[in-house]
Amino acid sequence: MRFPPTSPGSTPRRARPDALAAWAGIVLVASALAADAAGPKLLPAEQAFRLSARALDAKMLEVRFNVEDGYYLYRDKLRFAVEPASVGVGAPALPPGKPHEDEFFGKVTTYRGLVVVKVPLAAATPGQEVTLVVDSQGCADAGVCYPPQLQRVTLALPAAGAGPTPATEATPPRKPFFN
Amino acid sequence: MTPARRTLLIGVGAAAALVAGLWVGQSPYFGPPATGLPATALLGVSLPDPDGTEQSLAQWKGKVLVVNFWATWCAPCREEMPMFMRFQQERGAQGVQFVGIAVDSVDKVRPFAQDLKLNYPTLIGGFGAMELSKTYGNAIMALPFTVIVDRQGHVAHTQLGPLKEAQLDAILRQLSS
Repeated sequence: MRFPPTSPGSTPRRARPDALAAWAGIVLVASALAADAAGPKLLPAEQAFRLSARALDAKMLEVRFNVEDGYYLYRDKLRFAVEPASVGVGAPALPPGKPHEDEFFGKVTTYRGLVVVKVPLAAATPGQEVTLVVDSQGCADAGVCYPPQLQRVTLALPAAGAGPTPATEATPPRKPFFN
Repeated sequence: MTPARRTLLIGVGAAAALVAGLWVGQSPYFGPPATGLPATALLGVSLPDPDGTEQSLAQWKGKVLVVNFWATWCAPCREEMPMFMRFQQERGAQGVQFVGIAVDSVDKVRPFAQDLKLNYPTLIGGFGAMELSKTYGNAIMALPFTVIVDRQGHVAHTQLGPLKEAQLDAILRQLSS
């Protein structure tokens, strides 16, 4: 029988994974302590309120926000437009949302989780490429609010008789503007 | 390997792991990297007040300066302002100066500041103000974001999200002494 040479009092090799686990634990604890001291861990807006869209047909877009836990969007800050402007959008079908009493703005309605909005197109042609322009604004329960986010999703409308297009994620947001 | 060398290796490894962990936790994504650095860019800023007069932050150099990025559309920002006003009232004589930078339009800020009877100056910043806050650690560009500058013009503290009263009290006491 052959054993790896060890000196009296040294630890056998199989203790290495334990040491690695201990070091990993120290790294995790230290980073958690440092991060906690620095404030809440918060996502950038485009990750907290993930936007995607698809075209159901040449007359209707379906817009989705996947709002992360701990974040919410304001219903009355959602705006939809389309490029080219000649295509035009009709009134979007906004889901009801949750009422909330804001001490400054009064009654506001907020959205959490999955938000699906149908946006009708006024004058698009099948197969046309359009760009959906979405304005949104939201906050985190942790106590911060994000400026208005302007995002774009470019979609190819389906041909006549074809089914809905697959969902497309929004391109990174442009610089938000303040009204 | 001798037991002594093994102990040394474990110690060095643990220390390296600790430093690595702290570095990760303090990265811009998680925390403020600006603390301790001179607040040169911030003190060099010049922005209009609600009456349209350009105001330079440099005029408050030597004060314990609490620069609060806020907006009327930000509920948590509005909620902490009465507390800031109390601190301004009580600590102004000791050289504490609050200055707001509103990432907002003047026609929203002016009536709001008037209704609140705001007792410290607030300036009107646009998107550039958000970019400025980003350089001081506001990686996600959310509000409120507060930078506290000591009398020597160095960043003493940055805060993304509301400041707790006890924490603000402790920081201001330390910097004003």
